[in-house]
Amino acid sequence: MRIKKRIKKSSARPTTSFTAPTWILLSLTILLPLIYGIYLSFLNVNLASFAPTKFIGLANYKLALAAPETYSTLITTLQLMVIGLIVQIPLGIFLAIMLHQNLGGSKFFRSALIVPMLLTPVAVGLIFRFMFDTDIGIINWALSLIGSDGYNWLGSRTTALLAIVIVDSWQSIPFVMLLVVAALATIPTSIYEAALVDGANKFQVFFRITLPLIVPTLLVLTMIKIMDFLKLFDTLFILTRGGPGNDTTTLGLWTYKTGFIFLEMSRAAALGVVILIITMPVYLLWRKSAKSVR
Amino acid sequence: MKIKLDKVISYFVLTIALLFSMFPIFWTISTSIKARVDTFTLPPKFFNFTPTWKNYQLLFQLDGFWKIYANTIMITLATTALCLLIGSLAAYCLARVEKFRGRSTLEILMIIVRALPGIVIILPLYNLSTYFGLYDRAWALILIYTGFNIPFAIWLMTNFFEQVPIEIEDAARVDGASNLQLFTRVLIPLVTPGLVATGVFVALLSWNEFLIPVIMAGENSKTMPILVSSFISNRTLDWGPMAAAATVALLPIIIFTLAIQKWLVVGLSGGAVKE
Repeated sequence: MRIKKRIKKSSARPTTSFTAPTWILLSLTILLPLIYGIYLSFLNVNLASFAPTKFIGLANYKLALAAPETYSTLITTLQLMVIGLIVQIPLGIFLAIMLHQNLGGSKFFRSALIVPMLLTPVAVGLIFRFMFDTDIGIINWALSLIGSDGYNWLGSRTTALLAIVIVDSWQSIPFVMLLVVAALATIPTSIYEAALVDGANKFQVFFRITLPLIVPTLLVLTMIKIMDFLKLFDTLFILTRGGPGNDTTTLGLWTYKTGFIFLEMSRAAALGVVILIITMPVYLLWRKSAKSVR
Repeated sequence: MKIKLDKVISYFVLTIALLFSMFPIFWTISTSIKARVDTFTLPPKFFNFTPTWKNYQLLFQLDGFWKIYANTIMITLATTALCLLIGSLAAYCLARVEKFRGRSTLEILMIIVRALPGIVIILPLYNLSTYFGLYDRAWALILIYTGFNIPFAIWLMTNFFEQVPIEIEDAARVDGASNLQLFTRVLIPLVTPGLVATGVFVALLSWNEFLIPVIMAGENSKTMPILVSSFISNRTLDWGPMAAAATVALLPIIIFTLAIQKWLVVGLSGGAVKE
């Protein structure tokens, strides 16, 4: 009895001290800047001015909330997000179902199709910028084959947004596909067999059986994609740099511009706090949806 | 007969998808070995051109190219090592201890890194760094890269630690192993494949990182993505060397992506979806 007790006591799990290095690191690189950012948002720091730093209360927030760019860039962010989700999730599911049919060579297809996923976004942006070029781009050339005059893709808002979604989709659809393939693999085949015996057709099987079963994964996927669209920076920066004008600038890129192009550090910090508040529901939802899959 | 038709359609769809996903890569590589004249002709030349190494020669002769390349490798390796070292300890704790003080705060911090646009953190970080003289220092970059990538590493590794049967640990404890001995001598060897996967994963993300160096790196600590992006700003429209730079940045990744595809699902979903 005593021995048993001792074993139990000694098998106390790793102590919290194991997380100490991570705590220190995240405190220095994430928490401290966040708190300092909040502090900064109440000051008047501008890198281009020599005015003494002073506390100006909520002035930066008032300016940020009064500026039309704050809203227009938020709308751009949401538009990219919605169009992106509408394109990427259904196409990803579709490809996943094609892959899931146990075809010979589906492993090969799977490996090849996921390659775009982890490629350097900056390089990807560059390649697509070349392909979207008005005069020598291969996309306009391909369009000319079917009798279209082509577009100045990055020169107007609608086509530029479309181009950004296309580039992001090129990297993201494989990701959606991969996660859905993983979800499909967990569905027992006996369910399908039973449905087929009952005379269900393919569409019925998909909408009544497959889709409801992969809903938790789709929720997680949607959350991840929402986070990614909030974070979208690299490809956007390379493709359009938010242009023409501010037409494709997202809230994140607008914060960057405010801070590093207009050098209004404090105003950018205030925008950052606004973003932090806007994204708050995402953190809570993410924890919930991640738990539902587990 | 009907089943056969299904298969034909699937193959057809997958082949189209394959063409779409491969073409930009093919086009980059092919542009990188074309002479300038061949780049600017329409209809585009797919195969009917004489390959040349000129673009690569131009790229490699660029001022500081090798320094930038070496610097990127150095930052990538150091970040990977730190993420594995620090992250594995935390992952072990998260995998084995259901409740501990600060667990949910830690988890929320990790989610913030994943969800919040990086600029919100990096902008004040830039101000702090210039104040403390840490701007354009490679080691400061390494710390920041590690902070931004460690949540991924921890999520991924937590999964691997969870898979180790707890009985193995208990047995080692009975034999009198201390916490740290148990960790280094028993657990680490068991999860090595997982650590390798995590390492490759973090290395890829660090290699691709753009936002941190574009703000925090000057001439001293420039990385490859910054070099690649600099082709855009100087307006020369020299697509050849640009494609060469992109190829040099992409090729290692293509190889590594294939090597770790088994773990992509767990890693990219922040451990939310398991395979």
